[in-house]
Amino acid sequence: MLLAVLSGFLLAAFAPLLTRMAGKSIGWLLAVLPASLTVYFASFIPQIQGGDALLIEYTWMPGLDISLNFLLDGLSLVFALLISGIGTFILIYAGSYLKGHPNLNRFYVIMLCFMASMLGLVLSDNLITLFVFWELTSITSYMLIGFNHEDMDARKCALQGLFVTVAGGLALMAGLILLAVMTGSYSLHEILNSSEALGSHGLYTAALICILAGTFTKSAQTPFHFWLPNAMAAPTPVSAYLHSATMVKAGVYLMARLNPAMSDGELWGQVLMLFGGATMLVGAYFAFSSTGIKKVLAYSTVMALGTLTLLIGVGTELAMTAFVCFLVAHSLYKGALFMIAGALDHETGTKDITRMGGLRHKMPMTALFGCLAALSLAGLPPLFGFIAKELLFEAVLEAPFWSTAATLAAVVSAMLVVGVAGLVAVKPFFGKPGNTPKDPHDAPLGMLAGPAVLSVIALLFGLLPFIPQNAVLLAAMQAVYGQPIDTYLSLWHGINLPLMLSGVSLLAGIGLLTLWPRLQPGLYAVNTAASRFGPEAGYFKVMEGITHIASWQTRVLQNGVLGMYLLIMVAITFGLTGYTLITRYGLHLSLQLGDSHFYEWGIALLLVVSAVFASSTHSRLGSVASMGVLGFAVALTFILFSAPDLGITQLLVETLTVILLVLVLFKLPEFVNLSSPFERYRDLTVAVFAGVVMVLVVLATLDIQYFESISSYYIENSAPLAYGRNIVNVILVDYRALDTLGEIFVLSLAALGVLSMLKLKAEDQHKP
Amino acid sequence: MESLMAYVIGILFAAAIYMMLRRSIVKMVIGLILLSNAANLLIFAVSGMKRGAPPLIPEGASAPLGPVADPLPQALILTAIVIAFGVLAFAVVLIRRAYEIVGTDDLDQMKDTDT
Amino acid sequence: MSSAVVYPILLPLLAGALSLALWRSVRWQRTLGVVFNAALLWASIWLLQEVMEHGFVTMEMGSWPAPFSIVLVADVLAAIMVVLTGIIGLAIAIYSLVSTPRGHEKFGYYPLMHLLLAGVAGSFLTGDIFNLFVWFEVMLLASFALLTLGGERAQMEGAIKYVTLNLFSSAIFLTAVGLLYGMVGTLNMADIAQKVAQVEDPGMLTVVAMLFMVSFGIKAAAFPLFFWLPASYHTPQVAVSALFAGLLTKVGVYALFRMFTLIFTQDVDYTHTILLWAASLTMLTGVLGAAAQFEFRRILSFHIISQIGYMMLGLALYTPLALIGGVFYIMHHIIVKTNLFLVSGITYRLLGSYELKDLGGVYKHKPWLAILFLIPALSLAGIPPLSGFFAKFIVIRAGIEAEAYVVTGIALLVGLLTLYSMIKIWAEVFWKKLPEHVTNTARLEGRIKDKHNWAFYVPVVGLAVCTLIIGLNGQPIYELAEKAATQLLNPQLYIDAVLGGQQP
Repeated sequence: MLLAVLSGFLLAAFAPLLTRMAGKSIGWLLAVLPASLTVYFASFIPQIQGGDALLIEYTWMPGLDISLNFLLDGLSLVFALLISGIGTFILIYAGSYLKGHPNLNRFYVIMLCFMASMLGLVLSDNLITLFVFWELTSITSYMLIGFNHEDMDARKCALQGLFVTVAGGLALMAGLILLAVMTGSYSLHEILNSSEALGSHGLYTAALICILAGTFTKSAQTPFHFWLPNAMAAPTPVSAYLHSATMVKAGVYLMARLNPAMSDGELWGQVLMLFGGATMLVGAYFAFSSTGIKKVLAYSTVMALGTLTLLIGVGTELAMTAFVCFLVAHSLYKGALFMIAGALDHETGTKDITRMGGLRHKMPMTALFGCLAALSLAGLPPLFGFIAKELLFEAVLEAPFWSTAATLAAVVSAMLVVGVAGLVAVKPFFGKPGNTPKDPHDAPLGMLAGPAVLSVIALLFGLLPFIPQNAVLLAAMQAVYGQPIDTYLSLWHGINLPLMLSGVSLLAGIGLLTLWPRLQPGLYAVNTAASRFGPEAGYFKVMEGITHIASWQTRVLQNGVLGMYLLIMVAITFGLTGYTLITRYGLHLSLQLGDSHFYEWGIALLLVVSAVFASSTHSRLGSVASMGVLGFAVALTFILFSAPDLGITQLLVETLTVILLVLVLFKLPEFVNLSSPFERYRDLTVAVFAGVVMVLVVLATLDIQYFESISSYYIENSAPLAYGRNIVNVILVDYRALDTLGEIFVLSLAALGVLSMLKLKAEDQHKP
Repeated sequence: MESLMAYVIGILFAAAIYMMLRRSIVKMVIGLILLSNAANLLIFAVSGMKRGAPPLIPEGASAPLGPVADPLPQALILTAIVIAFGVLAFAVVLIRRAYEIVGTDDLDQMKDTDT
Repeated sequence: MSSAVVYPILLPLLAGALSLALWRSVRWQRTLGVVFNAALLWASIWLLQEVMEHGFVTMEMGSWPAPFSIVLVADVLAAIMVVLTGIIGLAIAIYSLVSTPRGHEKFGYYPLMHLLLAGVAGSFLTGDIFNLFVWFEVMLLASFALLTLGGERAQMEGAIKYVTLNLFSSAIFLTAVGLLYGMVGTLNMADIAQKVAQVEDPGMLTVVAMLFMVSFGIKAAAFPLFFWLPASYHTPQVAVSALFAGLLTKVGVYALFRMFTLIFTQDVDYTHTILLWAASLTMLTGVLGAAAQFEFRRILSFHIISQIGYMMLGLALYTPLALIGGVFYIMHHIIVKTNLFLVSGITYRLLGSYELKDLGGVYKHKPWLAILFLIPALSLAGIPPLSGFFAKFIVIRAGIEAEAYVVTGIALLVGLLTLYSMIKIWAEVFWKKLPEHVTNTARLEGRIKDKHNWAFYVPVVGLAVCTLIIGLNGQPIYELAEKAATQLLNPQLYIDAVLGGQQP
């Protein structure tokens, strides 16, 4: 199983090589993999069809509860079959559609990775592994949507899809972790089989919102639907795959998968119905009012995704039956229709439906399969789409709440979809011959194989619904519902309310279709006007906002002025220290200064005066000289207080420093007042504040000595063990020799730095 | 004496920070020197200051005869002084070169790299 | 007690000294660069093995007993850091063979590189707080010299900010060491830790902790102390940028981890809450800074900051899982970030610019380079199954389990914006058609073939493989991080290992 899931990635690694070797028939060659995967997954049908679930275990990162366990039940098997089955035809189709494209090899690499990620997504038992594959589908689809990467629009659309789905994905990650926190497990089958009622858990709402944010963005639910039509920037094989069996279905899959666990809270059903219904209507409306054939199809996908979400939300036994049927029906006809659309565009040279017409004469086979698939889309007997639509009506009519609204929405969208089906099937193939840039022929075999097989399957499933039902659909329904389901699919249910609704929507749809040429321009104008306020405009606002905030923040923070940087750092350092001192220790101001001799007062005064003079004088020389005085005063302090070595070193270093300053600084200009009085007072305030904090900290530290110093060891052992009489020296060269070693390297590094700065000058290097 | 030094150190810190915040690159370097002096004095002060008892062991004795000043902070300060000198030497040459290349000693003029 | 802990410091010091001795022979210095950094890597792996076996490896320098001598201590975290130093060192040494300009090589590039690594390794391995200061200074001066090497105007301007702000940090560090010594009278970190634990009224310790936090916060480039980093990291030649990006800030992070798990744990509610907010703001400001940039290395530089935030978040949450996350993040980040800088150097080599507007078409002409970019870039953005995903996942999971929802939310948002930046680079440099005004396309289109290009690609491929291994085979890495976190949460283990379990 692991190999089956990962085989796509493995094959992807060899795809460039194979593309070079196989030449024109590469599509057929690569399709062998998904085809055999289809057979492989189909071989599990006998084990699954009774409603059992198979768990295949592999370890990955047990420390983090991440495993490569795969869960195979009706639901995941249906998805796996769709992904590998439709994938087979997509690969064949792409070989033909993109024949001779210079980047065909790269296309196949990404496509195979995408397929494998999708398979991994629907088969994973582990929440995190599922998420891993989930994100991989986002990334690979980004690469696919932006396949024509030199086109700026393609790049933008790809980014849009990625940004929206990954944003949702991150929420999903939080949601999945919350789910695991609630249930105590990262394993889907454990979560699904646990009897715990999640609905009453304190984190339920948060988890629900996070998870749905992920699935709604992925499955293009309103108001996140806008990325999907834009994803049409991808080559048609990608669109066909993305829309029919993969990517957008991932969100639907996850909702269906989690339905048994999450549906015990009322919020779940309500949110799903609300968003699903809205998406259904929005999708159907935009599908009807667009002109590009791919746009029309894309919005009809949005509608279908809304329907699926709505059905999960309804949550009854009947709704689950409808869900599974609708899912399969949609995958079949949508895959077929997209491939047909690609064939039309490939053959005629345009995507605009208004320019096509009467093509059934020149492209008879294409027309046949296109119409078949469109009939399924429109929900007409005897195709599988009809069964799905009847079940949809039945389900919404019997919905436990909001039944009327849902029914109304379903009927309206069914009506619009009839119109859409007419647009894609009737408009191009019937009527007056259009004026197309290229002279069309029937599509080549590679491009017809997919639509042919998929539409014929849709027909067969419609005529003989018990075959798929017994094989996997029933098991899938049970997996979504979480309990055994007893149902029997059939084409004919007698004359009942759903059938009448179908009839109504069919007639209304035909009516709309005839009105379409007159309605469309008006609707289009309305859409264009409204798009300024739509969610897509919101997306652009967000992106713009990010850039604005980012550049504003960077201008303010990283403004290039060193003084500001230092000011902030000083303020933070001493503000934090001062605050902590007052809150954690308290204010202990000691004024015991009586223990100092008068000459010590003198030194202290000298230190203070020289420091203040050095920092306030306008004369460079004065400043450097008082620095020297300060240094000597420090040395004097050292010597007076029992540190002769320090004193001597300080004297030496101070002399060198003064010489260095004099030598170097006098090449620089005289001091002038660069800053404004405000800046000076501001800096002075901060500096004084820092000084006060330091005084308080030092005074506090002087009061506190928690432990005796370890120095007594050095004092006692220097002579007997280290054979030295100057204890400071002994410490430096023996006890703490490593410090001294480091110090030597610091000095040599400084010398090296100075040398290279003086010798290696940029202007010399730029000279010819 | 330590308490007195606390106030001196505070003033040194204030002076150092004020100088570091100046726009003139030379003043900034003087600020850095002040700061390292302040830090050294601080170590010296907080670990206790003793008058006239250097940590030396007289000939013939195996340990100092009376209590002596703590030698460990002295060793630390000595290391710190030398390191500070190395750093300072580098910094001084750096500003000299920067002045030659950029042509100004005003730090506010040196913000091309950030934006 | 084992000598394994000495070599990671000794080898680069020796290499530095030898390179200085061979000042005139650049050829020898190059050879030594690769040989000694390979040896460093080997020594560090040996150390890690020893540490995994014994828990701790310590050595008292000069054979004086702890806490009177300087003790070198390797726990799992330190050993991991040293291994990473070795990996980065070797990668940089190889890359430098072709990327370093002649003049730089003649004026001490290699000795500086070695001594920088010595400073880094010393900082990781020392168990003495003042010695840590000394190693910081070694590292700092080496980085000063490397930063200014070449003497371009931008380098000088960047260096002034870098030097000043880091010297301020050093002065604060020194002050804090002095104050701490004044209170507890010792410098050995284990000794400090066990003494601090006995203090009943630790208010002043928290005050000193603040000074340490600020000082290391500056080194780690945490909010709002990071200004020196974006001001300077894009100015030196690219191998130096990559070296800095991988290691320098992480020394600050390491020091924070060390101090705020071993020593300053007396007031966790207060100190770690400050860290938590600093971490969140670091993530956010860093990533927003990157969003405003349109230069390859500047974008990467700002992302260093934002990712430091994730690591600090791991420390600040202070749960076992969070610390594991922090350590995991460090491991992932060092490799990935260095690699991205190296890739930016290759595109610079191809097209002569770091500005996104002057780049393009790389995916078309160099698909393999594109993949080599995507691996670290997507890893940085936390895309599974690469290393960055697991790093992020652990931190986020720890955040949710610790019920720190706001911070976790910020971390998630930052992940999205990171991806946005990486995709920006990808779209501009790799996908976009080569802009018309770019004329020096001979290298990109393969019309000029350089002889020693392998040295560009070997390190990049090697680091990419590391990224993949950390991601796809994360369990051993996780266990390593887990062991490091366990030690961090039990300071007594460290104290016993250094002081031999007895009170002096």
